[in-house]
Formats: sequence, structure tokens, C-alpha cells
Amino acid sequence: MSQLQNKQRHLITVTNPRSTVSEAFRALRTNIDFSSIDEKIQVIMVTSSGPEEGKSTVTGNLAVAYAQADKKVVLIDADLRKPTGHRTFSLSNRFGLSSLLSQQANLDEVIQVSGVPNLSIITSGPIPPNPAEMIASNRMSATLQELRQRFDIILIDTPPLLAVTDAQIMSSKSDGVIMVVSYGKVKRDIAVKAKASLDRVGARMLGVVMNNVKRKASEGSYYYYYGN
Amino acid sequence: MLSQELDLRDYFRIIRKRLWLIVGIVIIACGIAGIYSVYIKNPVYEASTKIIVNQTPNQTASAQLDLNQINTNIQLINTYKEIIKTPAILDMVVSQYPKFNLTTDELMQKVNVSSVNNTQVMTLSVRDNSYQQAAEIVNAISLIFKQEIPNLFSVQNVSILNEAKVNPPQAPEPVAPNVLLNLAIAFVVSLMIGLGIAFLLEYLDDTLKTEAEIEQILGLPTLAMITRVGPEEAKAGEQVAALQSRKTGELEHVTVAK
Repeated sequence: MSQLQNKQRHLITVTNPRSTVSEAFRALRTNIDFSSIDEKIQVIMVTSSGPEEGKSTVTGNLAVAYAQADKKVVLIDADLRKPTGHRTFSLSNRFGLSSLLSQQANLDEVIQVSGVPNLSIITSGPIPPNPAEMIASNRMSATLQELRQRFDIILIDTPPLLAVTDAQIMSSKSDGVIMVVSYGKVKRDIAVKAKASLDRVGARMLGVVMNNVKRKASEGSYYYYYGN
Repeated sequence: MLSQELDLRDYFRIIRKRLWLIVGIVIIACGIAGIYSVYIKNPVYEASTKIIVNQTPNQTASAQLDLNQINTNIQLINTYKEIIKTPAILDMVVSQYPKFNLTTDELMQKVNVSSVNNTQVMTLSVRDNSYQQAAEIVNAISLIFKQEIPNLFSVQNVSILNEAKVNPPQAPEPVAPNVLLNLAIAFVVSLMIGLGIAFLLEYLDDTLKTEAEIEQILGLPTLAMITRVGPEEAKAGEQVAALQSRKTGELEHVTVAK
């Protein structure tokens, strides 16, 4: 618990579950659950057009929100270029996705427990020289198949769309893609380009998460503390 | 913005968003105008004489006021106004008063002639950085003008009503720079520029900001709007977490106490 307090400051769903921001993540969880009626959304990928828009924060908090809803959740840090998942949850990154895909470890070895009940983490592992090929590999698909049996929800954090192709490849293996858009940071044509790159590989877009919204701008959205 | 037309509320929102930019521009502009007016620009003083245009009684048959005569004089004023500002007069001023150390053109810049409609009085005013100099110049011009008019019009109908006092009892206030006027102009102009910049920046800002824009540009629904985690919220979170770790199992009590 002390570990959580010190290093998981941006996992607001853990530190302050009653805040409006945590409520927004629960709303996100609900909206994802209801965005598809016929197909089951089990593998959810989170990406954005550019770097530092809050992909990892959104993924982490969404994973916690799912875990708090008594779902068995695994978070995969598939950003094999600038991984952050291990830092968010204060975990070791000695073994992770890259070690699994390069057959240096098996699945049970790379699934780590987080401080949050129901939530497991697969960190990125050591940074490999060929991330795109690793993600495109059959072993990646097989791993996801295996995880589908073990977990209710599989959340995947990926690199930005326009910088590298990893997210595009990963989106074709996912049931749904969430695009994080940082408020007032993403130009229209950039967003359109990012979405087009996902459309080209036939990704199933669930919707957009607007991140870093200024408090004043959201005042019209009736996000306030309900209850005490 | 869904359409290019802006709602009145949008105008207020844009102004409020960049209020500090606008206020900053206005303050800087007014500050510069104030400093320029008070400290940098030399004060300008104005001295004036009044010249009356009227036929002297000995030139007319009767001493009675003749309405036609008055009208003629009023018409003449327009002509005189032009004559004063010609080199014909000003050259003589320059040559007869070398102490002013001015050229004809410089003199022309300083002289202003005006008349009130339907009166026979015209006002000759001169602006200069020194009041004394201005008074001397305006007196000189009036004198030369009075002397020269008979040569040009062969009528003696100009007399000087009052001369400018070279050494007035009270120190005259400068007419320029008008500090208040300059400040007012600076305020209005900088406010317009500030508003213009604010709206230009808003127009040039094509980043995604609202759910409506995302729906329109990307055709995707917005699943959540996540606000920045403010410092007070993070702090509150730490407190809650700290309390929770101490009083495990008493969550309800902790939140009520908060």
C-alpha cells in the first residue's frame, strides 16, 4: 500500500477512487462495455496520434477501473520503444512482453501481479531491436489467444500511431481501439491521419478519450462530486 | 466550432480565455504612451492673436454698420487665411526676424489660422516648444500681415484685436502632448489589437477540443472526457489513501469525516 501511495500518483483510480476523474474512468469503462452489442470486446488497445497524450495513464486507470468492477484484467505494455508500465505500477521490467515474444520466458513468468486486486501486468521487458516484427509475430497472436482464456479484459498500451507502425499492427489483433486525444494539443489533420492509418488495417474503433481537459471546459459536462 | 459562425457566447469565451494577453497588450501600450507623452515628447505651447477684419470708418461714407460690408469682410477672411500661410507673408517674417532662426517651411508648419463662422474675427495661433517664442512669432506674423495687407488689397481693413502676451503672468499649460488623449487613443487602439490577436489565435488554433469536433472530424464517439488531475485532487487522494491505510475497514467513516 505504501508503494502505491508514493509511486502511483497518476493512478487516480487507486489513490482517489471517489474523485471526478476516477468517475470519468468508470464512465469510460461503462461506455466501452456498451459500445458493442453483439461482439464481445475483450482485447482493447489504447493508442494516440502522438507521444505524451496520456495513453499509459489512461490505460492504467482504465485497467484499475475494470479491476474494481471485479473483472480479471491484464494490462500489456506493448510500447516496446518507450515503456512506462513498469514504472506506473512499480514493477520489475527484467522480464516482459519482449522476453516472452523472443521465447526467453513463458507466459506465467511474465504475468506480474499489481498492487490492485484482479489486475495483472505484463511489462514491456527489455527494449528489443525489432519491436514491430515482434508485435506482428504469430507468437503475439498466440499469446493473446492464451490470455483471452485466462482474463476477462486485456488492455494493451501501444506506441503513438504516427511515429511507428506498432500500434497499427496491434490494432488488427485487438477487438477494439481507443484513441486518446490530448485536449487542445492534436491538430485536426493529424487526428484524421491517425484515424485513417487505423482504418487502413481494418481496426475497430471504439471511440475517442479526450484527455487533459481543462477543468473549466468540463464544467458544462456535469462532472461533480455526487454524494459526500 | 461546428460552423464558421461564432455564437455570442463563443466571443465571450475567447475573450475570457486570452484575457491576460489582451490586458497585457493594453497595459503595455498605455504605459508606453504615458511615458512617451510625459517624459520623452517635448511639450508644445500655443500662443494666439486675434485679428479683426473691418473697414475703418474713414474709408466708408457713413459710420453706420453696413450688412453687405460685414459680409464682404467675412468672405475676405477666407482669403486672408490663405494669404497668411503663403510665403508672401511668411518670407517677410523670416527675413525681418532672423532671431527666430526658422525657415519659411518650418514657420508654415507652426502656424494655424482659424475663424469662427460669421464673425469678422480670425484667430492666428502658433505652436512652439517655448511659449515665449510662440508668442513672439505669432505677434510678428500678425504685425507683418497687418502691414502687408494694404499692399496686396489696397484696403486698410485689418487691425490686431489682441496680441499674444510674451510674458504672461501665469505659466501657460502646454497644449501638446495631451497625455489623457494619448492614453485614450493608446487604450482603444491596443484593445482593438489585443482582441484582434485573440480572435486570430483562436481562428488559427485548429486543435481538437470538444466532443462535437471529434464527432465531426473523426466520426467517432467520445467515450470519456478526463480532466487534468489538479494538485488539490491528488493531495486529497493522498490523504484518503493515507487514512485508508491507517483505518482499514473503516472506509465509510473516513469519507464521512472528509
